[in-house]
Amino acid sequence: MDFPSCLRPSLFMTGPLGVSDVPDLSFMCSWRDALTLPESPPQNCKNAVPHLAKALLWEPAMPGPLPLLPPCLDPWDPGVTAQDLLFRGGFHYRRQPQVMLDVTEQLSRFLWDHGDIAFAPLGKMMLENFRLEGGRNRSKKMTVVSAKRLLQDLGGHQPWGCPWAYLSHRLRRFSIVGGPVLGKSVSHLLGGLLHEELATRWEQLLLDEAFTGGALAWIPGRTLQVGQLVYPAGGTLDRLRFQEVSLTSGSDPQVLGDPGCIHLQGPVRQVVTSTVQGETLLAVRSDYHCAVWKMGKRRRPAPLQVLRVEKGATGISLSPHLPGELALCSRSGAVCLWNPQDGLQQVYKDTETLVFRDPSPWRWADFTTHPRVLTVGDRTGVKMIDAQGPPGCGLLLFRAGAEASCQKGERVLLTQYLGPSSPESLPPTLHLICTQFSLYVVDERLPLVPMLKWNHDLPSPALLARLLPPASPGAPHPLFLGGLGGQVQLLHITGKEASAPQLAGPPQSLPSPADSLSAFPLLEPKSQKQLQERLEAPTIGLASAFLPCASTPAVWLFQLSAAGDIFYQHLTLQAASSLHQDSGPPSDSRPDCHAPRATVPPVDQRPIPSWTARATACCSRWLEALLQVPPASPVWAAPTFSHRRLLGRLEPRELEEKVPQVLREAMAGGRLLQQRDLGLLPQAELPPAPEPGLQDELSERLEEAWEGRASAWWRKQQGMASEPGKQAKRPKRRTQLSSTFSSLTSCLDLPNTSSLPPSLERTPSEARVQPPVTPYSQESAQQLWVQGVHSERQQTLRDYMAELPLPKGTPTPGHVPMSPSRASRTQATPSRLPTPGSQPHRKRPRMGF
Amino acid sequence: MSDFSEELTRPGSDDDQVETPMVSGTGMHFPWLRKHLDSVATGGKKKKDFAQTTGACLSLTQEALLKHQWPRAAGFMHSYLQTLEDSDSSKRQAAPEIIWKLGSEILFYHPKSNVETFNTFADQMKNIGVLNYLKISLQHALYLIHHGMLEDASRNLSQAETWRYGEKSSSQEILINLVQAYKGLLEYYSWSKKKMELSQLDKDDYAYSTEAQNIFSHSWKTSVNFSALIKTPGVWDPFVKSYVEMLEFYGDQDGARKVLTNYAYDEKFPSNPNAHIYLYSFLKRAKAPRAELLSVLKILYQIVPSHKLMLEFHVLLRKSEKEEHQKLGLEVLFGLLDFAGCRKNVTAWKYLANYLRQILVKNHLGWVQEEWKTRKSWWPTFHFSYFWAKSDWKEDRDLAYEKAFVAGMLLGKGCRYFRYILKQDHQDQRKKIKRMKKSVKKYSIVKPAV
Repeated sequence: MDFPSCLRPSLFMTGPLGVSDVPDLSFMCSWRDALTLPESPPQNCKNAVPHLAKALLWEPAMPGPLPLLPPCLDPWDPGVTAQDLLFRGGFHYRRQPQVMLDVTEQLSRFLWDHGDIAFAPLGKMMLENFRLEGGRNRSKKMTVVSAKRLLQDLGGHQPWGCPWAYLSHRLRRFSIVGGPVLGKSVSHLLGGLLHEELATRWEQLLLDEAFTGGALAWIPGRTLQVGQLVYPAGGTLDRLRFQEVSLTSGSDPQVLGDPGCIHLQGPVRQVVTSTVQGETLLAVRSDYHCAVWKMGKRRRPAPLQVLRVEKGATGISLSPHLPGELALCSRSGAVCLWNPQDGLQQVYKDTETLVFRDPSPWRWADFTTHPRVLTVGDRTGVKMIDAQGPPGCGLLLFRAGAEASCQKGERVLLTQYLGPSSPESLPPTLHLICTQFSLYVVDERLPLVPMLKWNHDLPSPALLARLLPPASPGAPHPLFLGGLGGQVQLLHITGKEASAPQLAGPPQSLPSPADSLSAFPLLEPKSQKQLQERLEAPTIGLASAFLPCASTPAVWLFQLSAAGDIFYQHLTLQAASSLHQDSGPPSDSRPDCHAPRATVPPVDQRPIPSWTARATACCSRWLEALLQVPPASPVWAAPTFSHRRLLGRLEPRELEEKVPQVLREAMAGGRLLQQRDLGLLPQAELPPAPEPGLQDELSERLEEAWEGRASAWWRKQQGMASEPGKQAKRPKRRTQLSSTFSSLTSCLDLPNTSSLPPSLERTPSEARVQPPVTPYSQESAQQLWVQGVHSERQQTLRDYMAELPLPKGTPTPGHVPMSPSRASRTQATPSRLPTPGSQPHRKRPRMGF
Repeated sequence: MSDFSEELTRPGSDDDQVETPMVSGTGMHFPWLRKHLDSVATGGKKKKDFAQTTGACLSLTQEALLKHQWPRAAGFMHSYLQTLEDSDSSKRQAAPEIIWKLGSEILFYHPKSNVETFNTFADQMKNIGVLNYLKISLQHALYLIHHGMLEDASRNLSQAETWRYGEKSSSQEILINLVQAYKGLLEYYSWSKKKMELSQLDKDDYAYSTEAQNIFSHSWKTSVNFSALIKTPGVWDPFVKSYVEMLEFYGDQDGARKVLTNYAYDEKFPSNPNAHIYLYSFLKRAKAPRAELLSVLKILYQIVPSHKLMLEFHVLLRKSEKEEHQKLGLEVLFGLLDFAGCRKNVTAWKYLANYLRQILVKNHLGWVQEEWKTRKSWWPTFHFSYFWAKSDWKEDRDLAYEKAFVAGMLLGKGCRYFRYILKQDHQDQRKKIKRMKKSVKKYSIVKPAV
């Protein structure tokens, strides 16, 4: 194999992560990746305009993914959220907010909901000290308390955690005397356990590593158009389904027949497939079991072996070299090579992490280009282990540290061997490593130095990645990177054998299932929420299928959600580059980038995809089926316990009788029942009417103007509106910089962005029509004159100008002088003149009117 | 279980940067933690409107960039610039870098942007937030090189080279070294252009001597530029390559060798295969003795046993008189063919087939068995399966023939691969196959059970 003859320069620093004194020379921006140094000195510099795949883009056909199958009939509930776990009160907006697990609320809820568990033993112990029935205190014993009185004092309920709740004398005494007994034993034991449970749940909420690798796989069929999707279904994800799907370019994927189904005894966490030497194998990882199937002649799976993993399996991968060989890792820190014929062979075992100490027991293993060498990964790094070598030795392939300029707190989330895809486009020695911030591509022949680094900034853990073969020989490989939150990024990776892997174009983001909400009809709030929750369910699997024979290269992306739904989107390559000139129907094709610029409005040349009638119909059908799914039984329900029913002696309160009566009256009268009718709340005071006169700027200004003091008023207003000093100095950078971008903004964007700060609205539309250099008119002469004026003299000048009679339409001059275009210049430091071409002519803003 | 109580008691560390995400008990940062916390926050101070709009602009810019909507991104960027006026000083300080990153990306891809716009932007950005001056200068220069404007790039780098701010920190020094190295690279480009022109000139020409003089002055400057950087640990392939070329041109063989040796053998440097490859090709050009070549290739073999130079290494070893070298020659071939990427390398298979025969004739059966011992369990399925027999025969007959020979030698004539190829009774190959059958019968390490 050939090694890239000239690697990109990079600094090599050893040390821990987050070293701040080292310049980050890794190429984080996509455009910097395109800057390759010319191998030989460029011969004719003028003609060496780079041919970049600027227009490399996989265009989604729809604004969002569509459901492939009818919704799974098991109800789904999103489970605990941050709101359930974290302390809500008194959270201040700090720079570094603290995570506070709300044990108190959970504990009090537990005591409410499961009072029988929490208090029954204590209650039984103290039974003789309470008297539940009976009127007067017949017992002479001082140790017996009447429960009725206590409950009366409580008034039927005690608001949680309210420190000002009314306490009767009796209640107070009871809590002081009984507190040590009641409080400690229950809360200590429960509190400890609950805290531990909450911490686990919170960690899981932050990073649910169970689905690392993804639980959805695509097995290509005999023909290119037909394949099988393998995924878990059912509310508990314990049914492995095999669904045949047919793909044709230009239409939706067709589901063929009913899915095959295998019922397992645990949730499926990961599904992997691989075809080696014509044999397709399927491996599945559950929490404590792993299993392998062989796909038979008629695409029927035949079970090969099942393995029990005592400590819990964290990852499974199939060998791309030897049929039937797997790598398996468990929470105990062991990595095994597993072959259904030869059984297990432990390759590596270490309970400690590789680089520095990290408490996570997560381990991962994958193959390399050498069939006997495995990569072993944990949160801190990735190591290459020779299965035949002496145990314990190996070479670090990736280190969370200064070598890859990792940030503080950066950890490995996923490592994946990119496989022997196609040697002519990518070398078979590359590994993908994802952290919560970045994506790295590492070559196993040059360990520790990432060949490529891209800061993906996904807002959820990036646990899914799929590499596809190139659309045409020599074209870049599409790489899908999926977050648990449904976000998918598409990167174009290229690297012929003699050059280092790099991004062939700027990465793009693809719509997530949550973006499809607009395709569904509007519902009443409860159902809408159900639908939204369903669409926002975590994505736990990613698969892609590729249709190479189609006239337009097309890719289908499938996403499996935790609710058991599969969404698909269809992407077509919109390359205006030399790759596919004739691609796509005329409606889709993008005008050439280098079209004459004067006529083309500066908007996005691509038509924004919109929902077709068929898509919305599909969504409506899916929704109909979804709404028939019974709602999930709630995780929490309000307590139904009532002491009234137990005791039966307490009088119903007055109010409760009044409510139905008033309601009946209101219904009879056809009135709206309001809270004040019930006397529940004191009548709200009317909001104070605005006091006229005082704040009215316009009339004040008119008054002043009438008396000829308009300029003084204006000055006063200006002084009030802006802090002197600070404000006057800073805008200079901004105005200079903004001129760079203002000329590049599209005018069609403006209606969309009307809610933005006014600085955008000032974007000049004339700037595009005008040539870059403004003609040397009288105005520009005036501008130059103003620039030349020394800043101390400007106030005098302004005062002088204020006295001048100005033409109609010009605002009264004051602190901000004559015209805004000049204003920005007089405020700027006089020493530095902006480049004439870059400062476009500005529209006059409406000053104060 | 992580210790959350520690988290609860620890006072908020406000000295951390604003943009750093928050830490959990494990020390791991979660960029999405803020989202969770925001969903919980009910009371307390809200973000200021200013911070809200700025944050919104930033995320909208990033979103537009990822959707390749450059004009839209430019619009949001235009509004994001207000962050330079943020009252929060740490945010204000972090802003220039973000603006540079996103802004340069927009300007790089925007259909209406051009080099002038980019230049204006870069020049302005260099002076906002002085700490970024060097980085931006460097990237600006790279942009110019990429667009073929070498002179502008060189001017830019010269400006950056002389820039100093405050105390000279180590990161600043590295950046300055890098700036100088890129400048050296540009000088190398013009040098090699001149060199080419010179080679076209007549030696007796008057212009020749002045040109030659020019070249000499160049080389002296350039060596200063490179030498500082290539002492810093890193991957400096383009610089080392051009530096060595210039040194060699002026006959400074020792200097070149020193640079290359240091680049390849300094332990602080990453184990870059190119460093050894450069050293090897230099030694080869310098007609170094075989022992020296072998020692370089031996190290390369330990780093990258799959490299194509291993075939050359094998040839050198095969020619060697030493028995130890001849044994290594076999090991190298087996090692190369272990890799999936070399599976279809006909030359390697041909070498192995010939060498096996040669070694077995010399009666070194032990060597072969030693190599075969660790591969016995997986080579048959990896290389010599029925599937590969069929597909190799279909795709490349030469390869199939060589492989069949090796299979026969290693696995005996009962091997499936060997039998399959034998069965393909092809006209052209008949003679070859007959010879192969004979050799296998005679030398195979597996003796058929009688």
